Amino acid sequence: MPTQIPTSLAVTPELWGLNGSLDDRGIRLILAIMVGLLVAAGIAIGALAAMGKLKPEMRTELIKRTVAWAVMVPIVVVPILFGKLPTTILFTILSLACYREFARATGCFRDVLMSLLVVLAILALNFAALDNWYDLFVAVPGLAIVVMAAAAILRDQPKGYVQRVGLSAVSMLLFGLCLAHISYMANDPGYRGPMLLLLACVGLNDIYAFCVGKTIGGPKLAPNTSPGKTVSGAVGAVVLTTLTVVLLGPRVFHSELNQTHHLIVMGLLLSICGILGDLAISSVKRDAGIKDMGAIIPGHGGVLDRCNSLLLAAPAMFHYIGYVRGFGLDVPARIITGGH
Amino acid sequence: MSDWKLEPAKDHGLAPLERAKSLKRETGLVGTIGHAAWWSGVRTFMKVYHRLEVHGIERLPVKPPFVIVANHSSHLDVLALAAPLPTMLRDRIFPIAAADVFFETPVVTMFASLMLNALPMYRTNRGRHALKELRERLVSEPCGYVLFPEGARSRDGEMLPVKAGIGMIVGGTDVPIVPCWLEGCFRAMPPNKVIPRPRKISVHVGEPVRFPQAGNDREGWDLISRDLEMRIRALQPSKSM
Repeated sequence: MPTQIPTSLAVTPELWGLNGSLDDRGIRLILAIMVGLLVAAGIAIGALAAMGKLKPEMRTELIKRTVAWAVMVPIVVVPILFGKLPTTILFTILSLACYREFARATGCFRDVLMSLLVVLAILALNFAALDNWYDLFVAVPGLAIVVMAAAAILRDQPKGYVQRVGLSAVSMLLFGLCLAHISYMANDPGYRGPMLLLLACVGLNDIYAFCVGKTIGGPKLAPNTSPGKTVSGAVGAVVLTTLTVVLLGPRVFHSELNQTHHLIVMGLLLSICGILGDLAISSVKRDAGIKDMGAIIPGHGGVLDRCNSLLLAAPAMFHYIGYVRGFGLDVPARIITGGH
Repeated sequence: MSDWKLEPAKDHGLAPLERAKSLKRETGLVGTIGHAAWWSGVRTFMKVYHRLEVHGIERLPVKPPFVIVANHSSHLDVLALAAPLPTMLRDRIFPIAAADVFFETPVVTMFASLMLNALPMYRTNRGRHALKELRERLVSEPCGYVLFPEGARSRDGEMLPVKAGIGMIVGGTDVPIVPCWLEGCFRAMPPNKVIPRPRKISVHVGEPVRFPQAGNDREGWDLISRDLEMRIRALQPSKSM
C-alpha cells in the first residue's frame, strides 16, 4: 500500500523561523507603535507622578499594569514573529490557561472527566490548525460536544448533567475554538502583520474605551454587567479602533483587503466583538460572584481578564479575511498527517 | 462530587504559590494527573524496593472523612502510609506536612501541592489557626488527612509523646481516626540519612476510633492525645518478631 509520507517537520520551513518578517514595513510599524506606546506610558506616568498629580496607590497600580504590558507584549509578539509552530504553541497555552481560569471560576473544574475532554478538544483544534486540516478543525467542536454529552452520563449523576455538559461545551467553544482561529491564521504565509494588527487593535480597543470613557463619562453601557463601562467609551473605542485599522491596514495587508471599505468593516468587527467578548466574561464573573478571573498578571488579574476581548474578535477577523480572500489556500494542507 | 453548583474554587483569586500553600486548595486537572502519577509511582517503589506490607487495610473507612495517624521517624513514613490508599481518593486525601520543610521554597512547594497533595502545618504560632482551618475543612467536605501527631520525626526510632494538635482537629467531631504503626521506616531511612536503604516496611492498621464526646478544649485534646498514643503503641509488633 503506497503510504503517504508525512512531510517531516524539518523540511517545512514555514513551521518556524523569522522568514524575513522584519523586512515587512507593516510589521515594523506595528512593533514600533507597541514599543512607542510602552515608552510613552512610562514617561507619562513618570511625568504625572513628578507633577504630583497621581496618588501613590494609583501610581503603583499604573506602574504595575505598564510593567505587565511590557512583559506580555514580547511573550506574545516573539512567538508570532518566529513562525507558525511557536504561534500555535503560544495560543494553545493561552487557550488552556483561559479554560483553567473559567473552570475554576465556575466550579466545572471539579468534574475531572469533562475538564479532560475540554483540554483534549483544545489540543485537537490547535493540532488541526498546525496541520492546516480545515475539515478536522470544523469537525472537532461539534464532535467534542457530542462526546461530552455522552461522557457525562458515565458518572450516573443526572443532577447537574445539563450544567456540566453546557459549561464544558461553552468553554470549549469560547476558549478552544475561538482562540484556535488565531492559530489557524498562521497557516497563511503572510499572517504576521494581520495577526499583530488584530492583537494590537484588540488591546488598544480596551485602552481607547477606558480613556474616552474616563474623559467624557456619561451613561453606563451595561451597568449590571460591568459598572465601569460607559456608552461614550464604547463609541469612542469603535471610532478610534476603526480609524486605527484604516490607518495601519494599507501597510499591513498586501492584498485586496487593504481597500478602505474592507478595513472599515474589519475595524468595526474587531472593536464591537472586542467589547462583546469583554462583556461576556464580565457576565461570567458577575454570575459566579468573583471580581477577577485569576491573579497571575499583576494589575490585570487573570489571563482571561486580559484575553476576553480577543475571544470573539479572533473568529470574526478570521472569517472576514477568509471570506474575502481565503486562508492557507496556496500552501500545502495536512502537512503533518499528510492526507488529502 | 455532590450536586452541581456555580461555585468558584475555594482558593480562587490566589497567586499560584499562595494557592499551593492554601489550606483551602482544591485540586484541578493538573493536580489530579500529578497526584495520580506520583502516588502510583510511589506505590510501585514501596512494593518493589521496601516490600511494603499492609496489615488490616480493611479497617480503613471506605469513604472520607477520616484521619490516619501513625508514629513518625522518617520521611518514608508518609509514602508508606499514603501509598496503599485507593487511587480514586487521591485528590481528597491530604498528607499534613511541616510547612518549614515542604512549603518553604517555590519548587518544593509546587511539588508538595501538585504531586504529594500535601497541606502545610505551621510549627509556629500560626499553627493554632491553621489547625482550626483544617478542622473546618474536615467537617465541611469529605476529605482525609494523613498526619503524624507527634509533630516531629523521632531521632532514635522511639515514639515521641503525641501532641495536642490532633485533638484540635478532631475533638468533638464524629470523624473516625485510624491509628497505624509503621515498622521499618526508621531502619530504611532514619532522619539523618538521605538515601533510603532497601529495608522491609510494614504498616499495621488499627481499629478506627471516634471522639464525639471529647470537648474541643485542653482537657479533650489531652484525652485524645493519650488515647491515640496508647492505641498507636499497642499496634507495634513485639520486638522479638
